[in-house]
Amino acid sequence: MRMDRADRVGYGVSAALHLGVIAWVLLGGSWFKPKPSEPIVLSEVSVMSEAEFAAMVAAAPAPSDAPVTPPEAPSVEPAPVETPTPEPEVAPEPPPEPLPEPVAEPEPQPDMTDLTEPPPEPVDVTEVPPTMMPPVEVPQDTIAPEFSPRPKPKPAPRVAPTPAEAPEPDAKVSDLAQAETRPDADAAPAEEVEKKDEAAPPEATTEIVTEATKTEEKATTSAPKSSPRPRAKPTPPKSAPKTEPAKPAAPAVKKDAVQDALAEAMKADGGTGTGGTGRAPSGPPVTSGEKEALIVDVKRCWNVGALSSEALRTTVTVSVSMGADAKPDIGSIRMVGYEGGSEAAAKQAYEAGRRAIVRCGSDGFPLPPEKYDHWKEIEIVFNPEKMRMK
Amino acid sequence: MRRFRQISAKFPLISPQRLRDEGKTLKTPLKGKDMMMRFLMALVLAVLMAPMAALAQGGPLRIEITDGVIEPLPFAQPAFVAETGDAGPMANQIAGVIAADLAGTGLFREIPREAHIQSFGVFDAPVSYADWQAINAQALIMGAVSMQGDKVVVKFRLFDVFSGQQLGEGQQLAAGSASWRRLAHKVADVIYSRITGESGYFDSRVVYVAENGPKNARQKRLAVMDYDGANVQYLTDSSTIVLAPRFSPSGDRVLYTTFETGFPRIKMLNVGTVASQLLPEIPGTMTFAPRFSPDGQSIVYSMEQGGNTDLWSMGVNGAAPARLTNSPAIETAPSYSPDGSRIVFESDRSGTQQLYIMPAGGGEPQRISFGEGRYGTPVWSPRGDLVAFTKQHAGRFHIGVMRTDGSEERLLTASFLDEGPTWSPNGRVIMFTRESPGAAGGAQLYSVDISGRNLKKVENGTAASDPAWSPLLP
Repeated sequence: MRMDRADRVGYGVSAALHLGVIAWVLLGGSWFKPKPSEPIVLSEVSVMSEAEFAAMVAAAPAPSDAPVTPPEAPSVEPAPVETPTPEPEVAPEPPPEPLPEPVAEPEPQPDMTDLTEPPPEPVDVTEVPPTMMPPVEVPQDTIAPEFSPRPKPKPAPRVAPTPAEAPEPDAKVSDLAQAETRPDADAAPAEEVEKKDEAAPPEATTEIVTEATKTEEKATTSAPKSSPRPRAKPTPPKSAPKTEPAKPAAPAVKKDAVQDALAEAMKADGGTGTGGTGRAPSGPPVTSGEKEALIVDVKRCWNVGALSSEALRTTVTVSVSMGADAKPDIGSIRMVGYEGGSEAAAKQAYEAGRRAIVRCGSDGFPLPPEKYDHWKEIEIVFNPEKMRMK
Repeated sequence: MRRFRQISAKFPLISPQRLRDEGKTLKTPLKGKDMMMRFLMALVLAVLMAPMAALAQGGPLRIEITDGVIEPLPFAQPAFVAETGDAGPMANQIAGVIAADLAGTGLFREIPREAHIQSFGVFDAPVSYADWQAINAQALIMGAVSMQGDKVVVKFRLFDVFSGQQLGEGQQLAAGSASWRRLAHKVADVIYSRITGESGYFDSRVVYVAENGPKNARQKRLAVMDYDGANVQYLTDSSTIVLAPRFSPSGDRVLYTTFETGFPRIKMLNVGTVASQLLPEIPGTMTFAPRFSPDGQSIVYSMEQGGNTDLWSMGVNGAAPARLTNSPAIETAPSYSPDGSRIVFESDRSGTQQLYIMPAGGGEPQRISFGEGRYGTPVWSPRGDLVAFTKQHAGRFHIGVMRTDGSEERLLTASFLDEGPTWSPNGRVIMFTRESPGAAGGAQLYSVDISGRNLKKVENGTAASDPAWSPLLP
């Protein structure tokens, strides 16, 4: 029954709203367009149920034509861009025409004695959309402030003449001790909780961190949260690292065909494998970036300005042994080969390459010390193709 | 797949049922299948791991440098040691010319002596390479000068500082005191050659037309100078107009065009005696633009006959003139290839001035210039790989080079008027005439490296045009 009544209230409010909107469109929207500069009037209204209304009508000596108006005009706040989104169940649409000044007229007091149901709870005063605002307009530029302080609702007048009955008091634990009916054997003995002083939970902070702030921080920061620990200074290798010959994987598990195949492949490749002979450098190879750093370091000293035209057409390959301090052993520099020119031109080109190695290697090349095994012998191809006069 | 079929044929798959029927166990067929799988995977892994294994084998780290820097090579040249009491001024002069020769190429840069750490009191003093490395000297030139009567003796040593070794052996040269500049040029040529790998060009001379007077009444005469503009000597007087002198391959004679008869005629001049003679001509013709053949025994030139200009050749004594071209167009400015087998020249037979190459004895010319503008005054490089030329395009003149097939054309200069290129003896530098505009303008000699760098004016003290470089002097 309560639901039916609520539905009826809803229907009534909805019908009133629709009628109000239609009337406003017909009368106000087309004929009495508001001036843009007119102040917007906000009104406070009270909502009453249909039963209350009926009781009020019945109790009234004579029907009054005056519309129900709020007791006092609300504070006027400009809100021109606010879309009228009335909540149909909470407030009826006010009449489209500008309301006259509220007339101080005492509300009729309905006779509520025959009502069995408690009166509905008082409804908070809500904002009423501007009376003359078109329902939907093209968004317009506004100079209004982006937000305005929400007016404080004033206490709504009580509709019910009598206050609601006080709720039943909360249940209280009886002061009387009752004997245990049956001890719980499985229950663990209650631990003595050490009483601590009240403190904020660990998550609590002294500042309010909003989600937006977190997102913003996450988006703006690009600093690494951690940096790798710098490598320890390597000790120069005293001698070639002796490594035990890697024994081929014993085919203990015959079922693993992959391992067996791997072992056979290693056998097929060299018989003894490459990892344990001591010939191959250990560790990761020199990366392309490290190679590029070496190239950049050498080429800044490779001066071909004084080379003959024929020497500029000669590519020479120069071999050099490196010390562990990344400095070249000058005595080890030699020409491995050349192509594209005569022997005399190759000699000139070699001298230019040799000067580059000696000059820029005097302070040591930028090579990773931990990979010394990979660069203790270097072959540099000096190809002056890009430097030729074309 | 074919391999798999072969393996399958070797190890046929037998069903368990069949094996049971044959009273065999499952052990045998599974073993065969397992072996086959292992063999296959070993094969695949061996193929895949072969390059990795090769990589792991290592060898030296290999990098390739494809671009470096082009900058003057810094050299240090401490004061030459004066080994005799009167050799001090001469030592300074010779050292100055050597340093100027090297630095003037644009390939070297002298480190000021104020920056030197080590100094030498004697010629044989040991070199502290670290001191020279500290100032980034890459080459070190040590020298000593002594006066022995009327002779000047120069000793020098060249060191590669960063290699810590001497470049070549020390040398000693001697000449009359009047020839001290040639002595210095000789030393510079040796140093240049040892560092760059190509011969030098400092001990050479240039014959040119010295100009004097205003533009509308210019007086011209032949002059010769050192390559650097020093030692100017005049070969003719300014009574007649002279044009386009050319050195003989040995440098002892000069061919040029004179107007002493009122018409252009070819004349040969002996540089040593300054004696000259007109070469024989066919009456009623005009001859000009002569040039020696590489062997010095014949001359190629242009002859105007009946309003048409063609190329001719004859012996240096004027014997056996022979026509090389026969067309209604103007053919001129011939130049032999270094081996004497071909001739490059300019012709307007295509309607505009272009460059052509033909056999030395005449024949069908091959056009080699196809760019925009007009090409003229081609000169074959002493190396034989390039042809220098004058190009006129869009109102400006350029000196350029191209390969003998016309490819890789490069313009080295651009100005109001550049013309008449001539090659240095080593084919590295081009000297040419640059005319400045205006009534007060005049002709000057300029030189430029064939890379287009190091463009500079040749300071010879006078207006000059039509340079021709001699070979290296003996």
